[in-house]
Amino acid sequence: MSNSAIELSAVTKTFAGLTAVDKLDLQIPRGALYGFIGPNGAGKTTTIRMIMSILLPDAGNLRVLGLPSALEAKDRIGYLPEERGLYRKMKVAPYLMFIAKLKGVSERGLKERVYAAIERIGLKGVENKRCEELSKGMSQKIQILAAIIHEPALLILDEPFSGLDPVSTRLLKDLILAEHRRGATVLFSTHVMPQAEEICDHVVMIHRGHKVLDDPVRTILRPHDSRALTFEPLDGQIDLGALHALPEVERCIAVNGHYEIGLRDGVSASAAMRSVLGVVPAARIELKRRSLEDVFVSIAGPDRGSAGGANGKAVAA
Amino acid sequence: MSKVWQIAVREFVATVFTKGFLIGLLIVPLIGVVLVTIGPRLFGDRNRTVEGEIAVIDPTGVVLPQVRSVISARRSPVAVTELIERARAGDASDMVLNALGAATRLTLVERPAGADVEQEKLWLNEPMPAAPHLALIVVHANAVEPTLGSSNLGSYDLYVPPRLDNRVEIAVQGVMREAIIDARTDVRDLNRTELSLIMSVPRVRSTTVGADGERNTVFGLNIVIPAAFMGLLIMGVMFAGQGMLTTTVEEKSNRVIEVLLSAVSPMQLMGGKLLGHMGISLLAMSLYLGFGLVALTTFSLFGLLDVKLILYLMIFYLIAFFTIGSLMMAIGSAANEMREAQQLMMPLMLAMMLPWMLWWPMVQNPNSTLAVAVSFVPPINSFGMLLRLASAEPPPAWQVWLSIGIGVAGAFAALWVAAKVFRVGILMFGKAPDMKTLVAWVRAA
Repeated sequence: MSNSAIELSAVTKTFAGLTAVDKLDLQIPRGALYGFIGPNGAGKTTTIRMIMSILLPDAGNLRVLGLPSALEAKDRIGYLPEERGLYRKMKVAPYLMFIAKLKGVSERGLKERVYAAIERIGLKGVENKRCEELSKGMSQKIQILAAIIHEPALLILDEPFSGLDPVSTRLLKDLILAEHRRGATVLFSTHVMPQAEEICDHVVMIHRGHKVLDDPVRTILRPHDSRALTFEPLDGQIDLGALHALPEVERCIAVNGHYEIGLRDGVSASAAMRSVLGVVPAARIELKRRSLEDVFVSIAGPDRGSAGGANGKAVAA
Repeated sequence: MSKVWQIAVREFVATVFTKGFLIGLLIVPLIGVVLVTIGPRLFGDRNRTVEGEIAVIDPTGVVLPQVRSVISARRSPVAVTELIERARAGDASDMVLNALGAATRLTLVERPAGADVEQEKLWLNEPMPAAPHLALIVVHANAVEPTLGSSNLGSYDLYVPPRLDNRVEIAVQGVMREAIIDARTDVRDLNRTELSLIMSVPRVRSTTVGADGERNTVFGLNIVIPAAFMGLLIMGVMFAGQGMLTTTVEEKSNRVIEVLLSAVSPMQLMGGKLLGHMGISLLAMSLYLGFGLVALTTFSLFGLLDVKLILYLMIFYLIAFFTIGSLMMAIGSAANEMREAQQLMMPLMLAMMLPWMLWWPMVQNPNSTLAVAVSFVPPINSFGMLLRLASAEPPPAWQVWLSIGIGVAGAFAALWVAAKVFRVGILMFGKAPDMKTLVAWVRAA
């Protein structure tokens, strides 16, 4: 049995002369939790649809759960599409039972399983409501439930966090982690970088149809910037003038409740830390760490117009 | 197969157990009942009165008094009864019978025999007359007696104003016919009443003698049964086709389609929908057919029905269903909303209207070139052939088998095209495709 849940080899898809995915290679090991990121139109949804055999690639090879096509493994895959919906006139429990049966779940004990799952996501009592009566958030939860009701070996979620409030986001995050703990391989695409950073073991970034990043999260975030400090004052108030007056400091800007201090060329970071602490007492001072968002912007930002020319990590700084 | 079955069951349950289905099921027989029972009362304008003036120029001098007499007699119920009797005896045309539906209150304006016709025509368009000027009648000089050297009899010229109701003209012609005949019989010293009696042969009702006994012949059954079978077939196919089109468009616009495609292949989805909606329309057809058979049995007419027709109905239903139903589902998959689907449906709807437009000439002459041609051209061949099979002159067996063969080939071709369009169209959102795009999808898929 292959150790990979998903294997893509030089997969290409073109729509009316526009190459949406170009010679994409990707291997996702079984049991992994992968984030799939990239700007709008990068080719994420097309890739996911090809993995699901909803679209067929023009070229390249693809294996899902060790099989040559997801068609042969659909019952073991859970999928939440980006464009998702429900049968508006159908009641919630019959809808979930219908989807579960399509996924090969036996009718025996199915009703109990569906009711328990609904209770698990905090929607007890909606079983006999029509789907059209649900709020948007409730609908999203039911759609997510439909993707995992059959306890899939591979869970693919396309933008699962879009449109969710913070409580629902937390719930979904817990569901994804629970599925991962159960042993499912999880691949989800997202635009919400902090969530990808928080949840994923590994991140793949695609840009203009090319893979531009394919690394564990800890590796991506490990490099520190030795020319910048993150500084959080002890009492929340600081004298910016005093900081600017320090010879080591080039600039100081406030960012989300803390400050980022840029250092002049040739300045030692440790010497600069000592100087800063001499002027302002700190709750926290450290070398600035890269966030996934920084990586994303550095690759796909407007000043990287021609990024993604190669199928590799050349652009991923 | 179990996934196809799951899809089919959902489609069936989601459609059949709804108020909409029940209403849809009942609406057709309800319309039929309304048309048969209330329709004639609604459409027949029995209270209509033909009222106004007619001017008559009579060079013979013998027709005018008869016109006067007929007009006054027409106002009498006894005279109307007599007219009806004479009409039944074949002494009057359908036009007269139609005219009897409208009461006549005509006033005669007598003009001199030598009046200037051109001048009199101006009378028809006089502005704001006290009573409507309905017609100017110029009786021919030889209307009652032939002119010397000829055996032919003339009639009259009729001039009417613009926008005259047809019923008025029919009533006026009825009056003139009666008046001229009365004048002719008077001149020849014949007894009109006796002549009418002599010419009166009541229409008889035939008795059908069959192997199972004798019964009164049901006039028009040879027309009603083919029309009923063809109507049942069209209803069944449209019922299913419309359902598949609507649910496919809904699934696409609800964005539930991709969830389904994560569990089943496009072909399984299409197969399940076809199966489900075939079940729905078979249920509806069975109910209608059952009602029809109960009605025939109630009126002791079951023996008039060739039971083989039910078998042919099923065969041609399957052919028409897979041909038209699959194309309608393909259209549903290509459209983003119902409005777009209706535009794409136009060519198919025009094709579906053909059997309705051609059923009358085909049922009157089931072996005409038109009828034979229609029964070999997909997608309407099923309707044409079933109509012919149910008619008084069924087609030869080779034509039936050829039509079935062509129909099956057409159904496979339609399924092939539909599957290709469905596979691509189902995930296409945005601009509605045109025919050119659909052809490109068929080539690309």
